[in-house]
Amino acid sequence: MAKVISPMVSGGPVGLMPVGVTVFLAILMLLPIGSGVANVTMPHLVLISVFYWLSSRPLLMPYGACAAIGFALDLWLDVPLGLNMLLLLLARLFVLGQLKHYKGRNRVVHWAVFSVMAIALYILSWLIMSVVGGVFWPIKPLALQWLVTAFSYAPVAFLLGRLRRWVL
Amino acid sequence: MQTARLSGSGQVARRANRGRETLWFYLLLAFVFLILEAFGPGVPSQIRAFANDLVAPVLHTLERPVRAAQGGLERLAGVGDIYVENQDLREENERLRQWREAAMQLGRENDRLRQILKVPKREVPPAATARVIGVGGGTFERSVLVGAGSSDNVIAGYPVVDENGLLGRVIHVGRWTSRVLLITDLNSRIPVRVERTGALAIAEGQNEPFLRLRFMPRGSSVQVGDRILTSGHGSAFPPDLPVARVSEIAADYVYLEPLGFLGKLDFVRIMAYTAVPDEDTILPEDNGEDGDG
Repeated sequence: MAKVISPMVSGGPVGLMPVGVTVFLAILMLLPIGSGVANVTMPHLVLISVFYWLSSRPLLMPYGACAAIGFALDLWLDVPLGLNMLLLLLARLFVLGQLKHYKGRNRVVHWAVFSVMAIALYILSWLIMSVVGGVFWPIKPLALQWLVTAFSYAPVAFLLGRLRRWVL
Repeated sequence: MQTARLSGSGQVARRANRGRETLWFYLLLAFVFLILEAFGPGVPSQIRAFANDLVAPVLHTLERPVRAAQGGLERLAGVGDIYVENQDLREENERLRQWREAAMQLGRENDRLRQILKVPKREVPPAATARVIGVGGGTFERSVLVGAGSSDNVIAGYPVVDENGLLGRVIHVGRWTSRVLLITDLNSRIPVRVERTGALAIAEGQNEPFLRLRFMPRGSSVQVGDRILTSGHGSAFPPDLPVARVSEIAADYVYLEPLGFLGKLDFVRIMAYTAVPDEDTILPEDNGEDGDG
C-alpha cells in the first residue's frame, strides 16, 4: 500500500524552502536595479511570496517566520522597526481567515484577493508611517508601488508555483 | 473521499491556526518596536548597520550579474545610436579639452592668489569611492547602501557625490557598508544658494524624483535652468557643490531637478567633510583642577 503524504505538509529541510525563498526575495528587493527609483518600482516580493506560500502551504510559513522575515526586512530597508513585521503577521492572519473562501479557485481569484489584501496593507503602512514620522507621507509613490506589486503577483506566483511543484 | 479531503483541509487549518498565542506575542512585539520608533529612541543605528554588513556579501555577489544584464541590455538598445553618439562625443571631447586648459590655468592662478592672500584651501578630500550595492526604504525613504564603511574611514554625516553633483549624506555606518540618505528623501533639507543671484534657500526632498525650493527671500528672482549649489550654511555640506537645476516654476513652488544621476547610481564618492566639530571637542576639557582643589 502506497504511503499517502498530505500535500499540505512537507517536513524536513525541504520544508524550509518557502522561508528560504522569501528571504532570498527580500535580499533581491535590495538590489540596485535602477538605484534611485528602485525604491518605488521594485515590487514587494516578500509580500507576494508570503501570500503565495500561505495560500498553498500555510504550515511552512508560521507566524514566527513571518515576524522574523519582517524584522530583517525592516532593518535592511531602513524603515521603522516593526512595520513589515506587522504587515506580514496581518497578511498571515488574513490568509488563514479567508483561505477557505478562495482555496482551489482559479489564479485570477488569487490575484484579486492578493491585490485587495495588498491595498489594505499599504494603506495601513501609510497610516503607521504618518504616525511614526509625524507627517503625512506622499500617496503617489505608495499607490505606484501597490500597482507594481499587484501586477507583479501573476509572474512571481507563476515562478513560485513552478518551484513548488519541482521541490515540494 | 470528499469528506476525507475536507476533514484533512480542516485539520491543516486548525494546525496552521494553532499559533494564535504566538501571533499575539509577535503583534505585541511589533507594536512595542513601532512605539519606540515613534516616541522613543528607536533602534540604534549600529544594529541597522550590522544587519547591512551581514547582507552585504550576498548583495555584492548578486549585484554583479544584475549590473552585467543591465549593461548588456543598454548596449543592445544603444547599438543603433552608436554612430550619432560617437559624433556627439567627439565634439564634446573637443569642447572639454578647451575647458580643461582654461580650468587648469584658472586653478594655477587661484592657487597663487590664495598663497599670496593666505586663504586656506577649500578642497574636500575624498574618504572613499564606493559602489552602490543596495537600495532601501521601499516607498517611504530614498536611500542607498554603498560598499564602504568604517574600515574605509567613512563617518556618519559625510556628503556623497557623483561626477555631476550632490547625491546625499551618510546616515548609518557599518564596518563594510554605509547607508546614504538621498537628497530626494522627504527628510532631506539642504541649505542652498542660486548660482546666478546668490539668493539663499532650502532644497527639500519630496520622496519624488524632484526637489522643492523653499524659504527664498522675498523679491529674489529665479529662472528655469538656474543652477542650485550648496551654500555651506549649517556646515552639513561644503559650499558650492552642484545640487540641482530649476526645472519648473509653479505659482507656489519652485521645482528642482537633481544634477546627480540618482536614477542610475553606480560608483559614488564619499567626501571627508566634517565642518561641524564633535560635541566632545567643543565641550570644555575637564582637567581635574576643580576636583583636586
